[in-house]
Amino acid sequence: MADLSFEVQAVSKYFPGVKALDSVSITLEPGKTHALLGENGAGKSTLIKIITGVYAPDEGALHVGRAPVRFASPRDAIMAGVAVVHQERNLIPRFSIAENIMLEHLSDQVLRPLNFAAINEAARPWIEKLGINADPSTPVMELSVAQMQMVEIAKALSLQSSVLLLDEPTAALTPHETVALFNVLRDVRDKGVCVLFVSHKLEEVQEICDSVTVLRDGQNACENLSMNGLTRQDLVRMMIGRTELIAGYRPRDIDRRENALELLDFSSSAGHHGINLAVASGEILGLYGLVGSGRSELAKAIIGLLPTDGGDIRRDGQRVTIASPAEAIHKERIGYVSEDRKHEGLILQHSVLDNAGITVWRRAVNRFGFLTQNSVRRLVEPYLKKLQVKTPSLRQTIGKLSGGNQQKVAFAKWMAANCDVLIIDEPTVGIDIKSKTDLHDLIRDLASSGTAIILITSDMPEMIQLADRIAVMTDFVVSGELGNDGDYSSMSKQIIDLIHIEETRLVGE
Amino acid sequence: MFATSEKYREFGREGATDWLKRIALSNEFGLFALIVVAVLVFSSLASGFLSNFNLYLLGRIIAVNTMIGFSMMVVLVTGGLNLAVGAIGVCVAMTCGWLIEDIGLPWYIAIALAIVVGAGLGAINGLLVVWSGLHSFIITLATMSIFFGGMIFLTRAESFREMPGVFTDFSRLKFFGSVSAMLIPTCIVAVLLGILYRLTRTGKEMLAAGAQPAAAEQSGLRVKKLFVLCHVLSGAVAGCAGLMLLARNGAAIPAMAGNLGQDWLLIAFLGPVLGGAVLLGGYVSVLGAFLGATLVSVLSNGLLLIQVGEFWVQACLGLMLLLAVVLDKVRRLFVEN
Repeated sequence: MADLSFEVQAVSKYFPGVKALDSVSITLEPGKTHALLGENGAGKSTLIKIITGVYAPDEGALHVGRAPVRFASPRDAIMAGVAVVHQERNLIPRFSIAENIMLEHLSDQVLRPLNFAAINEAARPWIEKLGINADPSTPVMELSVAQMQMVEIAKALSLQSSVLLLDEPTAALTPHETVALFNVLRDVRDKGVCVLFVSHKLEEVQEICDSVTVLRDGQNACENLSMNGLTRQDLVRMMIGRTELIAGYRPRDIDRRENALELLDFSSSAGHHGINLAVASGEILGLYGLVGSGRSELAKAIIGLLPTDGGDIRRDGQRVTIASPAEAIHKERIGYVSEDRKHEGLILQHSVLDNAGITVWRRAVNRFGFLTQNSVRRLVEPYLKKLQVKTPSLRQTIGKLSGGNQQKVAFAKWMAANCDVLIIDEPTVGIDIKSKTDLHDLIRDLASSGTAIILITSDMPEMIQLADRIAVMTDFVVSGELGNDGDYSSMSKQIIDLIHIEETRLVGE
Repeated sequence: MFATSEKYREFGREGATDWLKRIALSNEFGLFALIVVAVLVFSSLASGFLSNFNLYLLGRIIAVNTMIGFSMMVVLVTGGLNLAVGAIGVCVAMTCGWLIEDIGLPWYIAIALAIVVGAGLGAINGLLVVWSGLHSFIITLATMSIFFGGMIFLTRAESFREMPGVFTDFSRLKFFGSVSAMLIPTCIVAVLLGILYRLTRTGKEMLAAGAQPAAAEQSGLRVKKLFVLCHVLSGAVAGCAGLMLLARNGAAIPAMAGNLGQDWLLIAFLGPVLGGAVLLGGYVSVLGAFLGATLVSVLSNGLLLIQVGEFWVQACLGLMLLLAVVLDKVRRLFVEN
């Protein structure tokens, strides 16, 4: 199947009231890795859906190896050799790794008994290649998020397709796993497959991609440009139409005499032990660690969602016990901005106002005991305005806003809550550059106004731009703490070293 | 700075056309139109449909059916359900009968205590659901049998027939010759529920907790407490419905809602689901549940008047429930695009 090019020629797509794509073209060549870039709303998702047969184009055509093709359904696209790794996971949790990988190969054997040993054998090479490091018969639901992502990729690769499309494949991966994935992608590319790599992480795009197509406002900002000689700034300029303003880290004055929040020899039922951390008012403490190292769980143990198991939590120097998030927010004024926006951060089917207002309902009740829209609006609207949330009305269902706007509402909710300590977990995953910059400014503003912030992120540049101090967490233990000197290369090296030292220690045990 | 403040003036203040569009697209408007059509059809097919007497009968049915629907609706908020509404309703009616006939309490105190018992049975459901972490389907399936069986054991399946005249007088009371007084308690409960969900913190918290428990809890809501409260409310409202049946029958009869109270189940789901309640939790419409129960009552009453057999009416209602669920899906797709 390999060695066929894939062309999208002058494709347009209309939705009621909008032209989502306006004569967009992109050419994927065999043996090349091609990047597709664009801000949220630039038309990337629509183009992906056209390539994968979800939408049919209103104008223009698709060509596989110079022959025109029409996809009436995703099935047609798969048959034509287009394999996709979607951003959302599409695995069957109770099925084994091998069954999930080989699923597409099984569908024409409806009544024949399955030979599980053969399925496991067929899947094994892919599992080894991608370094999934688990038995083929392991149910997928027992895997880590990163491993699941690898299974997803193995499933796509196993189709031996001529086109492999990866939509944000590294969002859930650790740096180590990303390296493994890139090795596999280079391998696949060298076998003559057209690889299309969609990502927000420009560093990765520069590392792995040979050419690039950028979309802006539904049009080509560039088409099939060679990556050679393109800088990060060039890419950003094409994406947002101007140069990116990266505010570097600037040391700030912090009164460290009293800690707003302090953990002393803190242990939790999730597996944390002997954790000592402190953050002062106005300080941003970065908490770096790989996925699965226990960072989110630590936040949840602090706010009372997971049981603690020894040690002290001190709030402004006073020893406190926190039994529930309600106590954390209303008694101790500690808030947690979840990384899982869709399930833990927001109520997607409710309105913008109800989402932003949920933490202030207690205060918004009037003297007759009623909670009116206006009283809630008065408390949250300043924050929604400050964050420049773009929504047709406050009544709008929040699930229909873009990821960046959703995240801004989630932030507005916590700003309205007036917390003294905020634990912010992966604030900018999967959102566009403009919103990301806005949120970074906001986090700095919050700290400057005296909020103590614990920032959890696996985005190294983000960490080094924002954090005053950086604690590194490995396997539910804090393996070290660093002051931030703002120099990216030396800081990132020190952080990686801390993780690595700890990993070596664990292997040694 | 000026530009942003201009931009955000749009927040929330919608124009008249948007408002009209929203009403026309709303589920409640669709139900209202269906009710009008049903009334027109039945009044042309059956001469007695719009007679004063039939309208009075219809009012009584609507009042009870709506109340039964409300008792389910308040639990649908949590994304769960309460199969024991019928059993609780009958238990409350029987308790009231016992308090009056055997204990000799005045009727108003008996009513109040009986409703407290309903709330208590609801609390048992709620606590079991929250503590066990099991789906309310299993819990209330079990308590439905336990409550009903316990009631049969305690009363030896005997009815309480010596009820004071105030019950039957109330159920026979009508205004303008055609409007049943039974609609009064239903309307009061409807208004109270409307206020609860629109204008109180507890109501809004119930909706938030039902829609996305994890997000609600992390935002500082006490989700478990709220869920128990929803079940307590369900028990109390089911009790009100049971007492209305008691008034209609003039007696507390163990079999007044069928075996295990299951005669209520279809009605209990039909009203709120036709009314647009989301079965996954987090959204209900009080007006919709009222209109849904009204449509169901009009259909069953009208079909009986044009002499369609009782079993066909049941089949028809079942069909309606399926249709409502399908229509709901179609409507959502339409609105989203």
